[in-house]
This record gives sequence, C-alpha cells and structure tokens, in this order.
Amino acid sequence: MSLAEKYPEEIKRILAKYPPEHKRSALMPLLYLAQREKGYVDNHAMNEIAEMLEITPTEVAAMIGFYTLYHGEPAGKLRIQVCVDLPCALRGADKFLADLCANLGIEPGGTTADGLVTVEPVMCLAACDKAPVFQTQGPDGIAYHENMTVEKTMQLVEALRESGKEVK
Amino acid sequence: MTELVTLSIDGKQVTVPKGTLVVDAAKQAGIDIPVFCYHPKMEPAGMCRMCLVELGRPMIDRATGQPVLENGQPKIQWAPKLETACTNVVSDGMVVLTRSEKARAGQQEILEFLLTSHPLDCPVCDKGGECPLQNLTLDYGPGKSRFLYNEKHHAEKHVPLGELIWLDRERCIQCGRCVRFQRLVAGEPVLAFDERGRDTEIITNSEPAFDSIFSGNTTDICPVGALTTADFRFGARPWELKSAASLCAQCPVGCNITFNTRREAKSGGRVVIKRVMPRQNEEVNEIWICDKGRFAYHFTESEARLRQPLIRRNGQLQPASWEEALDLAAAKLKAAGKDALILAGGRLSNEDLFNLKKLADGLGAQSVLYTHVGGGDLVTQIGLASGTNLADLGKGDTILVAACDLYEEAPIWWLRVKQAADRGATLIVVNARATRLDKHAGYVVRYAPGDETVTLQGLLKQDKIGAAIREAGNLLVFYAADGLDLNGSTSVAAACANLLIETGHFGRPNNGLIGVWPHANDQGAWEIGFRPEADLAAALKGKTVYIAAADPAGDDPRLAKALQDAGTVIVQELFQTATASLAEVVLPAAAYTEREGTFTSGERRVQRYYPAVPRWAETKADYVITAEIGQRLGLDLEAGAPALVFNRLTAEITAFAGLSYRKLAEVRPQWPIVGRADLYYGGTTYENKQGLGVHLAAAASAGESPHLPEVRKGSGPRPQEDALLAVPVTKLYDLGVTVRSSVLLEARIGLPAITIHPLTAEKMGLKAGEKAMIGLGGHENEVLVKLDETIPAGVALVPRSMGLPVSAPAPLSVGKAK
Repeated sequence: MSLAEKYPEEIKRILAKYPPEHKRSALMPLLYLAQREKGYVDNHAMNEIAEMLEITPTEVAAMIGFYTLYHGEPAGKLRIQVCVDLPCALRGADKFLADLCANLGIEPGGTTADGLVTVEPVMCLAACDKAPVFQTQGPDGIAYHENMTVEKTMQLVEALRESGKEVK
Repeated sequence: MTELVTLSIDGKQVTVPKGTLVVDAAKQAGIDIPVFCYHPKMEPAGMCRMCLVELGRPMIDRATGQPVLENGQPKIQWAPKLETACTNVVSDGMVVLTRSEKARAGQQEILEFLLTSHPLDCPVCDKGGECPLQNLTLDYGPGKSRFLYNEKHHAEKHVPLGELIWLDRERCIQCGRCVRFQRLVAGEPVLAFDERGRDTEIITNSEPAFDSIFSGNTTDICPVGALTTADFRFGARPWELKSAASLCAQCPVGCNITFNTRREAKSGGRVVIKRVMPRQNEEVNEIWICDKGRFAYHFTESEARLRQPLIRRNGQLQPASWEEALDLAAAKLKAAGKDALILAGGRLSNEDLFNLKKLADGLGAQSVLYTHVGGGDLVTQIGLASGTNLADLGKGDTILVAACDLYEEAPIWWLRVKQAADRGATLIVVNARATRLDKHAGYVVRYAPGDETVTLQGLLKQDKIGAAIREAGNLLVFYAADGLDLNGSTSVAAACANLLIETGHFGRPNNGLIGVWPHANDQGAWEIGFRPEADLAAALKGKTVYIAAADPAGDDPRLAKALQDAGTVIVQELFQTATASLAEVVLPAAAYTEREGTFTSGERRVQRYYPAVPRWAETKADYVITAEIGQRLGLDLEAGAPALVFNRLTAEITAFAGLSYRKLAEVRPQWPIVGRADLYYGGTTYENKQGLGVHLAAAASAGESPHLPEVRKGSGPRPQEDALLAVPVTKLYDLGVTVRSSVLLEARIGLPAITIHPLTAEKMGLKAGEKAMIGLGGHENEVLVKLDETIPAGVALVPRSMGLPVSAPAPLSVGKAK
C-alpha cells in the first residue's frame, strides 16, 4: 500500500504547510511519516516521496543518508543508540557498548536474532555527564536512557520482549 | 561598463571586473591557485580547502573612512587565518599571497589530509597521467605523510553508476563537482552525497541509474580517478594517446570534440579511437558534450563497415574494383541524364555535398536532401548571424521552441537554452505534448495535432506571450518536426519565420531561426542548394538514383518499394544498409573520422574537422567518389583535397564567400582557460587550438530584406474518433546507423515503444510495459507500451529510426501481442 493511500489526510496536512513552489521542504516530515511505518524508509516510499515533491529519488536518499535519525535499511524493532564520543568513553561507554553487545550476542551495529533490538554506536547525544547514555528509537518515538548499566539495559530489553512496548 | 577592481596577487597588480573570485583573478593573471572542488563553470562551494591563501584588505580609518597609511602605504589588515581563494570576491587594494610560507603550509596540510583516505593506486588508475590530485601532490604535497594509519580507508572500488560511468569510492575525495554539475549545469540531480564525514560517498538512486544524458562530463571534471567511463576504463594510458580535433556528427549543434587515438595490438595493429573528449568552444558547446556524442562514435570503426565496392551480378551484390564500380555508376548516370536524382543525407560534409550538387547540375538532375525537417531556406535568410552566443542570452531576451523535443534532438542546445532561462530569459515552449524543457519554461503552449501553425500564428495575439516575443531584446526560435512530417515542419518553419520577421528579430547577433535538423550538416545541404522532396516516393519513380549517406529503404517500407520500382540505384554508404541492399552499385565511403571536412551547424557556423584515424579498408572519401564519377562524365570536379573543394564552394555559394580553411582554423582566447597543464582547474576538456569556426553571413544581415514566407493554410492530419494517429518523434538513442554500433548504449536504446495516453490504453486493454502489436503503413510490429498523460488522447508517439515505419502522421492500429 502506498503512503498516499494509507495517509492521504496527513500528507495533505504536511504539504499544506509549505508554499507549492517550495514543496520540497516537506521532505523531512514526509520521511518521518514514512519511517513510522517500518522503522526505515524503503525504496518504494523513497520513490513515492520523490514523485510527490518533484525531486529525484537520489535527493531523497541523500537526505536519509545525511540525517542519522532516518534509516534506509531495516533493523530491529528498537534501535539502541549508544554514544561513544570521547567524554562518554571516559565514563566507560566503550566498555558498556562491548558488554551490552556480548550480552545480546551481537556485534555493534547488529540486530538480535528475534529482530527485537539493534545496537548502534553513535556520535554525541549531548549528555556526557550522564554517560553511559543511549537513545532508543522505535515505534513509540525517541527516548533517552542515562547512567545506564548493562544490567538495567537487559531489563529494558526483557520488558520489551514481554510487553511488546518500550518501558520509559 | 563593468566596474573594475585592482588588487595585488603575489606582488603582481591585477585588474579584473568587480565580483570576480580571487581564484579566477589569479588565473587571469597567469597565477595558478590549486583547486579541487572549485570549477569555473559552477558556483564555488569551498568544500575541499585546497585553495587556501593569505588574504589581506586595506585597513580603513573608521572616523575618516580613509585607508590607514603606514610609511605612506596603505596598512593591510590580514585575515587571521588562511582563506579560500574560491569563495572570496576581489576588492580594491586587496593583497593575496598564494605561495607564501604560510599559504604553502596550508595547502600542503590539506593535501596530506586528502591523501590519508586516498588509495594512491595511480599505476592502475585511468586518470593517472592527467590527474589533478597526482599533479598537485607533486607540486604542493609533502613527500611523506605524518599519519600512521595501519588501517587505510577502504571502500568499494568498482561501483557501476549505470552502464556508462563507474565509480571508485576509494579514490573519491568528495569534492562534489559531479553532484554540483548534475544539479547546477545539467539540471538532472541524480547524483548526491550519502552519509557524512569520513563515510561520505556518491550515490545515485535514479532508474535507470545515473539517469542523465550529460553523465560523461562528470568524468572530465572529476579531479581524481573516481569517475571513469565504461568506454575508456582500463583502455589505455593517457600519455599513449594522440589527439585529433573533430566535430560531433550526431546532431546539428556541432559540438567541438577531440578524438584520442592509439595504435594497438589488441585491434590488430590498427590505429583506433579510444575515447571522445570535449574541445572547448564557448560559443557552441562550452566545455561539455552529451553522452550520445561521447559514446556513439563506434560506428566509425565497426567491423560491419563496407570494405570494397560492390556490383550486382546475376542478381547478387559482388565485390568489384573501384574502376569497375565507378565506370558503371558513371555510365548509368550518363544514360539517365536529367532523369537522374541525387539523394543526399545530412551526414555528409559541405565538400561532399558541393561535389554532389555540381554533379547533379552537370547532369541536369534534381538534388534532393533526405530529411523530415523543412524550412532550411528560411534559416538561410534569417538564421543566426556572426557574434551569436547562447551564453549571452538572459533577462529581457526570449527563446521560443516550437514542435521540437530539444532534449532528445540536440542535448547541448537544450542545456544552453535551459541555462539562458536560468539567467532570466523568457522561454516559450510550443508543442503538442510535454517535453523536458517545459519545467524551465515561462510559458508552455499546447496545441492539438494539426493546429501547430494556427497556434504559432496566434502567439502574437496573446497578451503576455505576444509581449514577450514583440518586446524581446533578442529572440531565438528553434523548430523541428516533433509529431510532424516534412510538410508540417515546413509550415511550422514558415510560421516561426513570420514571427521573427514581423517583430524585427533577424539580421543581428542572437536573433533568428534555428532548424533542429536530424543530422550534423543538413543546414549545409540547404545552403548548397539541396531541397527535400515532399513526395519522395513519387519523385523516385523511374529515376536513376544516386544515394549518399541516407537509408530511405531502412526508414520506410514505402520508400523501399519506390526504390525497387526506380531505375538504377547507386548507393554510397558506410554500411550495407537496407537501401544498399537494393543497389546496383555500392560505393564504400570513408567515415568522417578518416578524413578532413567541414560541417555547417544549425546555428550556421561552419567548422572544420580533421582526420583522426587512417581510412578503413578500400574506402574513399565521399567527395572523392563523387568527383571521380563526375570526371568520367566530363565534369570538372575537385578530388584533390577538401580544402580545394571548399575554395570552389566559397567562390560559388554567396553565403560562404570569404571563408577559407585557414579562417575556420582561427582561434581566440576563451574563458575559462582549460586543457593546459593545470588540469585541476577546468577538467580534461581539450583546449581549442584548431579553430572556432565562422558563421555564414545571413542574407538578412547583408541588408537583404527577407520575404514573408507563405504559411500553408491547411493543417496536418488530426486524430479521428475511433482510430489512433501515429505521430513521429525523435529519440536521442535510436537505431540509426550512427548509434546502433555502440554496444554501450544498447540498454538506453531499448526496445521500440509507442507512447499513448493512459485512457487510450485503458480503452484498448493495454498496460504500461506490456507488449502490443501495431499496424502501421501496412506493416505489423511488436512494440512496448508506454503511458504519458500529457499527450492528446487518440495520438500515439512513435519513435523515428527504431525500425517502425513512421515518416509522417498516419493511422495506427493497436492490438494485443501474439
């Protein structure tokens, strides 16, 4: 099902926010809408958005590539994005990432076999003083988890596995 | 008068127009500032930081507004850090140091940094030898790197960006020249950056990949070996190549090119063309060429070329000697006398056409141009005058494009018209369907098939469009035969000519009529006196026909039938075409790459091309073949050299008066400066040292007043209620003799397809991408179905030169494929 078929009203509302000659500005909110669907923007959606905004699919893909919160590839239901910049590393973020991955039985960047969780190292989440810190990105949006330990994280993953919902 | 600014660069006083960038000002003064991302044809981006210089401006006293003096000299306020020469605009009294210790250190550091993620695989890199990064490393780079990366940056090395261009991600330095070219120059943003930082890479997501007809140009301006063409990749080292100046023979724009050739074992010891490169002519193609020009040259060295003369014996074409073939051709023509007919194609040079015309005149025979675009006589009267440059058009000027799909028919004109529109020129597109130019047009006028002339005649009566035409500072009109046959196109030409004459836009530079011809030298044929024949089939009846560089039988089964019914057929060709197969005598011609000559472009610019490779097998140049036939008929035709034929031509044809090969070879300094040792600046485009060409004098600029041509009252056929009307359109990549030999373009040529309105398709039970059977001109063909909602219902677009018999609008039947 195309986005236009599924979200006709929402698309109309988004497009109405921008003057018709600058409708390419609607790219960001439309990508957000498309990503809500599967946690990433597939080729089909990219082409559809490109056509809607009269730009090339390449320009759409470039936007997804540039912004770290847009994804062009499928991943787990929940993305755990661990900050590994220098100040966080000084507070043990590197070790936290390695231990968490070992516990989940995946490599950094990998997804658990049940497709539940993907763990990704990212740059600066602007919360150095509360490292190890990660951000989760999933169907319920984005949330920060500060002063984390592997144990607390595993509890979070377990809760998600049972309830299907992320515990804030 | 432009305001001038004086500054000092490396101690040299330089005066340049206000607004000039420091990097260009230096270049004009002969000082090279190294660049990677900056390109003189594009706005600066300031991404690569290679052009770092020390930059200072005179200090101004705030109280008095006067420069602060120190020992009688203005005191210079130096910028605290190095600045990029490509993003800074010159100002009065500015001081620039490009080779100071500080500047050099900055440049060195940038290079050192770039090299940390570059594979340095120069020995196997196609760019090696003409690589800006290689050259600049030698000039500016440190001998050693201080970076001790055990893990060098690794990335994919063989990424096809479509069938024509390959990307090596390791070599890419992310200068963005290709991305910016596609967006800013070509207007086809199908390349972009993915990711960021050290992960930045070039991507294309278009379908087909890298969907642009200008893609080859990115390999010229790529400052490293990241982008290479599928044609030249691993083909040769640049220093092994010889170059020959030439022209592209694919369309009437007349792009200046250079053939790079090499003698090689791989080709049996023959000298072969290894690649086609653009050659700068700022008034014609600037420094660009389209992909058809770059990748379709293979026909000139195809193994399928005719090798020796053929004569029909016992119903079979059999090899013969030149003596036999020429004797027979001459005898047949002599016997026919004024019942002979000479049919020539626009692929021939001015010299070939002149000899053919003299032969026809000697026989008293008709000389016919094989074309589907009419009105060349009007172009002779009110065509473009000397001093014309599409790059001069902008605000206040108007360009009208009528019955023409400029993108498919003449890409570089499309590019330059689009750029004129970007600069503010008013673009009016008049056509029966949407084309790629509409997006850039100020006004788009659509007509129903059959209403083309009425619509053009009515333009002046429309408020805004009428004013845009009448009040235009300069008015250029392009026309062709989109959806039309020769008659329709002739009417369109007349209507366009009337617009120009009525509003007084002719006889001066940047004003006039341009025929978008199917071939490189149709305009030359018109100038020399060839005229197309509205009913060619009837004209051929009973004639002894001498056909050069045209394949009527291949294009249209009715013409094949007419040739079978004609008397003797003599064919002079490169290939054993359908027409040649009907001939009594076949004369193998040399390709234009194997000889000298001149073409007259659609802008009426006469330009020279030079021999690039030796003649193939036993072929002879067209003008020689014709002259040798003429000599057998007792006619005095020149076979010595093209320059000698040209001298005769200039003496006889008024428009060519005063021209000579020497004059055509004259050059003037051009901006930007390209093709010298500093390849980093403009790319690998060749500098033009062999001639910029000369415009023919338009009759109107000589003071002759043009006569208002009569516009045909009747209209072309219209679609009927219950039948589809097939209308011919031109496709860039078709199966013409000059394209089909290029293996590279196979996918882009694709299968024959017709385009219809979605509602028409629905009515016929057809879907996009499905196969269908069409009946056209008594023939059945299998085609693909494409949909386009901008075309009128009841009309089917049928491409020319794709094996479908469509020379004029005609009824079409469509059924399901078997």
